[in-house]
Amino acid sequence: MKRFDCLGMIAKGATDALVVTSAGAVTLEWNAVRPSDGNFRVRTLGLCSSIALGMALSLPQRKVIALDGDGSLLMNLCSLPTMARMRPKNLVHIVFDNEVYEASGSKKTATATGTDLVGIARAAGIGRAVWTHSVDEFAKIATEALNGHELFFIGAKVTTERTEVPPYPIDEVENKYRFIRYVEKTEKIAILRTNLPSSYS
Amino acid sequence: MTPEEAAKTIFSGLKAAGISLIATLPDINLAGLLHEVEADRDVIHVPLCREEEGIGICTGAYLVGKKCAAIMQNGGFFNSNNAIVTTLLQYHIPLLLLIYYAGDIGDRTFSTSGSMTEPVLQALGIRHYVMREPSDAPELIKRAQILTEDSKRPVALLLTKESLGRRAAIRSQ
Repeated sequence: MKRFDCLGMIAKGATDALVVTSAGAVTLEWNAVRPSDGNFRVRTLGLCSSIALGMALSLPQRKVIALDGDGSLLMNLCSLPTMARMRPKNLVHIVFDNEVYEASGSKKTATATGTDLVGIARAAGIGRAVWTHSVDEFAKIATEALNGHELFFIGAKVTTERTEVPPYPIDEVENKYRFIRYVEKTEKIAILRTNLPSSYS
Repeated sequence: MTPEEAAKTIFSGLKAAGISLIATLPDINLAGLLHEVEADRDVIHVPLCREEEGIGICTGAYLVGKKCAAIMQNGGFFNSNNAIVTTLLQYHIPLLLLIYYAGDIGDRTFSTSGSMTEPVLQALGIRHYVMREPSDAPELIKRAQILTEDSKRPVALLLTKESLGRRAAIRSQ
């Protein structure tokens, strides 16, 4: 199963969901599949699941999707018990497990020797945590998760095959501003305020 | 002030500054403050397993409109350094860090952590202020929140034992 094909399936059901992508190629591939200011690219390995959790807890009416990787999640396994503890109904955590640190020279991760991330998610207390093994199966489960109202963890065993896509078009700070403005616009709320000197206000 | 009064004073300062999501990891000296956080119905409280995930959670919350605080011991601040650098500083994310100052003068057990805390904050360019009087808390928190929002960088308040209404051990044992 190719990660890129799975991303295409997510894009069909994601509509206006806020999407957080892990450090690595998944960010570039997702941006090619669904270019949007509602995409937030993470640069700290491991933090994808936690940033998505913070969004989901703070905006409970909005669907939030974390597109994570095995190397990333292994670095922040403790995000799973915290997620289970807080249990946001609007969060879908998807992990593409290709068993290597793909962006760092393709050395094997611990999942290559049998570590089961879905098993860990279940043991952490996430009730709906499932493996998917084909694009069809992935599409079915992802659709259920995106249309549902419960915390969902989906594991997808994927090949290391990369898809040629354009580079990420913006830097971190622009990503931040565009993302916040997108949330302001789509949620009709004000987040950023300009700091005018008091003599102007 | 008693530890209970200090905890209430600090927490009311956080509420007055508009903080509505707080990520925490316990230290015995922070117990009273965390009790206040837990008991409040309006603030979203996220108990952490490791402090670094709290930096991510607060970042996500900020991006969708929350004002956040992370409460931890200085050991937790050290745990959080990669996330502070490659998320908070790299993306210009504001965050109020309330850090228990273990190993401060008169505080037993973590003197090595105490000696490294301010130098590391300084190396990261994080402006920090040491709180010694619980009664200073509301004003300091209000100002720190303004500074973190305005600078779009984290700001740290170092909470000493006495700022939490607890006595530093000054007698030899």
